[in-house]
Amino acid sequence: MKEKMPPLSRRKFLKTSLTAAAVTAGAGTPLIKSLVPKAHASGSRPPLGELTSHFTACDMCFNRCGMIARVRNGVIEKIDPNPKFLKSRGMICARGNAAIKHIYDPDRLKYPLRRTGKRGEGKWERISWDEALDYTAEKMLEIGEKYTRCGMMFIPGSDMQSQLVHRFAEIYGSYNITSHETLCLLSKNRAYLDTIGEVPYPDVFYSKYIIIAGANPFEAIITPDTMDFFEARKNGCKIVVLDPRFTKTAALADEWYQIKPGTDMAFFLALCHVIVKEELYDRDGCCPKMTYGFDEFFLHIQQYTPEWAEKECGIPAEDIIRIAREITAAAPAAMVYPGRRTSDYEDSTQIRRAMAITNALLNNFDKPGGLLALREVGVKTPYYDIPWYDDNPFDRVEAGLVPGLIDHEGSFQLMREAIISGEPYPIKGWFNFKTNFMQTAANRNKTLEMINHLEFIVNIDIAMTDTAWYSDVVLPGASFLERKDPVSALQGSSACACAVLRDPVVPEMFESRSPFWICQELSKRMGFGDSFDFTIDEYRLKQIDGLDGAMEAMLKDGVYYNPSQVYGIYAGSPLKTLSGVKEIYNQRYARSGVDPMPVYRKRRMPDKNQFRLVVGRTAFFTHAQTNNELLTEFMEENVLNMHPDSAQKMGLKDGDLIEVKSRVGSGRLRLELTEGIERQTVYMATGFGALSPQMSLVHKKGASISEVLEDYHDEISGNMAMHETLVSVRKVA
Amino acid sequence: MNKKYCMVIDSSVCIDCKACMVSCKVQHKVPRGYWRNWIKHSTPDFSLGKHTSMHFQPGGCMQCDNPTCVYACPSGATYKDEETGIIHVNEDLCIGCGNCVKACPYHARYRHPVKRVPDKCDFCRERLHMGLLPACVDTCPTKARTFGDRNDPDSEVSRLLKENETVRIVSRPVDTEPNMFYISSTMPMDWPGQVEYPAAHQAMTGFVNPLVKIAVGLSGLGVAAMFLKQLFTDDETSQDKEKEEV
Repeated sequence: MKEKMPPLSRRKFLKTSLTAAAVTAGAGTPLIKSLVPKAHASGSRPPLGELTSHFTACDMCFNRCGMIARVRNGVIEKIDPNPKFLKSRGMICARGNAAIKHIYDPDRLKYPLRRTGKRGEGKWERISWDEALDYTAEKMLEIGEKYTRCGMMFIPGSDMQSQLVHRFAEIYGSYNITSHETLCLLSKNRAYLDTIGEVPYPDVFYSKYIIIAGANPFEAIITPDTMDFFEARKNGCKIVVLDPRFTKTAALADEWYQIKPGTDMAFFLALCHVIVKEELYDRDGCCPKMTYGFDEFFLHIQQYTPEWAEKECGIPAEDIIRIAREITAAAPAAMVYPGRRTSDYEDSTQIRRAMAITNALLNNFDKPGGLLALREVGVKTPYYDIPWYDDNPFDRVEAGLVPGLIDHEGSFQLMREAIISGEPYPIKGWFNFKTNFMQTAANRNKTLEMINHLEFIVNIDIAMTDTAWYSDVVLPGASFLERKDPVSALQGSSACACAVLRDPVVPEMFESRSPFWICQELSKRMGFGDSFDFTIDEYRLKQIDGLDGAMEAMLKDGVYYNPSQVYGIYAGSPLKTLSGVKEIYNQRYARSGVDPMPVYRKRRMPDKNQFRLVVGRTAFFTHAQTNNELLTEFMEENVLNMHPDSAQKMGLKDGDLIEVKSRVGSGRLRLELTEGIERQTVYMATGFGALSPQMSLVHKKGASISEVLEDYHDEISGNMAMHETLVSVRKVA
Repeated sequence: MNKKYCMVIDSSVCIDCKACMVSCKVQHKVPRGYWRNWIKHSTPDFSLGKHTSMHFQPGGCMQCDNPTCVYACPSGATYKDEETGIIHVNEDLCIGCGNCVKACPYHARYRHPVKRVPDKCDFCRERLHMGLLPACVDTCPTKARTFGDRNDPDSEVSRLLKENETVRIVSRPVDTEPNMFYISSTMPMDWPGQVEYPAAHQAMTGFVNPLVKIAVGLSGLGVAAMFLKQLFTDDETSQDKEKEEV
C-alpha cells in the first residue's frame, strides 16, 4: 500500500502561514499600519553574490568612454561611468548604458556558420571552429593564388582590435584595406590636412564663439565636445548653428539658421569676405604672414559678398556681417567646429576647406579655445614585417581615381565600383570585421551587385548583420566586454591625451572568439603563424614601451594620462604643409587640377515635386548596430520628417505610410511632420529596415538609408556623399 | 541628524540624450514600456526664427514633503523615510490597490506588470548604500542632475540652492512640496495632472475617518478572534467538516 501525503487542510495552511507571519513580524516586518516603525524593513531582499567593479572602455560607438562594469554572479548588471576618465567627463550616454543588451542580446551569434543556400537566403549549417578556420584559410589562399593577394578586400572595423586585423591584412599581403571612415569623416580630414597639415581637435571647453555647421554634436555625442559646449557656455561662449533641420543642437543654440542644404560654403566664403574686407583678422600674427596665398584669396573672395550669400543660403546678409564681427572679436578663442561625419556632398572637402580657411583667418590653431594640434600620447604600433609578393599589382585598386585619396583608408565606394568592373584588377574575396556596409553604404543594390562578383566572404561580428547575412562564413565575435584588447591612444579637447586598454569583464559567451584569436589561427593555417606568435600582454608592453607608470595607471584608474604639451606645440616650427604655413591657397590642388581655393558651384536642387534626402542619427542609436532592446524602445522604427506645408500641398498627413523613392531604390516608412525642417528637405534616421531577420528588432521596421541613397562621392577624397540624393514621396494606398 | 535628500536640476543643459532613462531602466530592471524617470520638453515656437529654441526637462519622483501617494495608500506600504526623506514602497505590505499610482500628479509611479505592486524612483537606495550616486545622476553627460542632502549646508545641492533661484513643479490645487528643484526658467511647468484619490478614500477623510478606523479595528479584532478559534479547533473534526462541505 502506498503512503499518501495527506492534503494540506485549510486550517493547517492558515496555521503554518500565521506562524511564518509571526516569525517575520518578530524579524521586524510589521503587519499593521499603526505599528509601522520609522524605518521600514526593506521590502526587497538583497540579491545574492558580491558585486565587483571592472574598468573598461565603451565600444557602442567610436568615442571609447571610460566605463566601470558592475558584475554579480558572473553577469554584468550595470555599466557606470569611470569618474577618472576625463575624455568622457565622467559620463556614459544611453548607448553605453545599453551595452548590457549588446552583450546579452538574444540575437547574438553563438557558433560559426557556413552558408548552404544562396546568398541572402538564410540557409546555414553549424560548423566547428576548426572547420570554419580551415575552410576560410583555404579559400583565402585560393583567392591569393588565383588573383594575387590583393584579390582580397579587408575591412578591419573601427574597434580596439582593428589594428590587429589591419596587421593581419597587411601580412596576408593585400593593400586593399578600407574602412567605415570612408563613409564618414575623410573629407573633413582631407580638408584640414590640406590646410593646416593635420587633423585638429576642437578645444571647445575654452572657446568663446563657435559656429556649428554640418554637425549635430548634441545628438551624435562626441566626447568631450558635447559636454564641453555647455561648460564653455557657462563661461560666456556663444553657439551659432546652421542646419536645415531643427536638431537638438539647433534647439539649444544661441542662434539657429535654417540654411538651405548644401549651401554652407556660400555662408563661409561670405564670412571670409567680411573678415578680409573689414580687416577683422589678426594682422600682426596671422594674415598674410602666416598663411600661403592670402593675396590670391583676397582677390578670389571679392565675388562672395554677404548679399550674394543671402540669395544662395537664405541667411540674411546683416547676420553674416554681424557674425563675422562677433567671431573675430572672440578670436583666437573662437572656431568653426570641424564636425565629424562630413560625407554629404560631392564637394564636401571643399566645403570643409572653406571652414578650415575661416579657422585660419581666426588664427586659432594650436591655441586655447581654438583648434588643437595632435598631442603626444606615446603609444606605439609594434613593428612587423610586411612580406613582398612579386605578383601583387602596383597599388590599391582605386588608386588615382580621385586626387586626394587617403592612402591607408581608400574609398569603399570606389573600391565597390572597381570590384564590379574588375578593373584595373579583380578582387574576389572579402574579409569583414564589424562593419555593416549593407546597412550604411549608399545604394544597397550596388553592394548586392558587388557581392555577386565575389567568390568568398567571411564576416566576424557579434550579430547577424545584413552584411553577415550575405556572407559565406560567419564567425561569432566576442563583444568588447569579453575581450582582452591592445592599448588605444585617445585625444580629446584640451582634456586629455590618454591611453586605455580592455581586459575581459566576463568570459566569452557561447563559442564567440576575439578577432585577434581568429587572425592568429588563420595565420597559422596560411603559413605566417610567426607574425602572430605573441600574446596581447606582450603586445601591450611593446605599445607602452618607455611610458613610465602607464600600465599601473590603466589598471588602477582605467586610464593613463600623458602630461604632454597642450598648446603652442608648433611655436615657431613649420606646419606639416608644403609651404610650412596654413595653406589658404593649396599648391598641390593647383597642380592636380583641383580648385586651389574653394569655388562655390550651384548643385542640383530638387524640382517642385522633389525633396533632398538628408540622413543622420539620434543620441540613442548606434549606427547599423541599432538592434538593442534598450534603445529601440525610444524609436521602434524610423520615420520620414517633412515640413507640414510641403505635406499639405501633396495631400499627405502625419502618420501616413509613404514611399520615398530615388533613382536607385525605395523604402516605405511613416511620415512625421515637423516645422523643424526646410521645406524641400526630408530626413530619415539611419539603422532601420534591416534585411536580416536575425536583426529582429529592426528587421523590416521602417526603411534603410542604404536602400534609398544614391551613390555619389566627394571628388577629392572619395568619401561617400550622402546628401546629394533627390527623392520623390508618395502615399502608399 | 536626519538627511533630506533632494535633486537640483539645471534643465538648461539637458540635451535629451536619454542616458538617465536607460541607466535607471538597467539599474532597476524596469520592464519595457515603463519608466521610473523621464525627460519632458517644451514646444518650439518656429515663428521666433533664429531664436527658436527648445527646453528639455529631466524628472522623476519628486520625493514630496506633502506626499499624496502616502496619503492614498491604505496599507502603509508607501511611506516617507524620515531618515532620508525618500518615499519608498514596502512591497511586502502592498495590497496592489493602485491608489498611489492615481494619487501622484507627476505620474511618477507605475504598477509593475509582473509584481503587481507600484514601482518608483527611490533615489537608488542600494547605490546610496554602496556610496554611489543615483544611476541617473552618475551617468548624465552634462550633469544636469545634482543629488545631495539639503540638511548638509556644505553639500553641492545646498550650494546650488543658495546661489540660484529655483522653482518647484507643483500640481494644482495641491502643493505637494516636492524635493526636486529646478534652476529657474525651466519648461514646461503645466504638465502635472490631478491628484486623484479613490472615491471611498475621499469619503473616509474628515471626521468619518477615525470612526471608521475604530470600526475597522474592532472588526479586525473579531477576525483575529475567529482565526484563533479556528486554530485551536481540533484538526480532524475540521477535516470531517470539510468533507461534509464537499
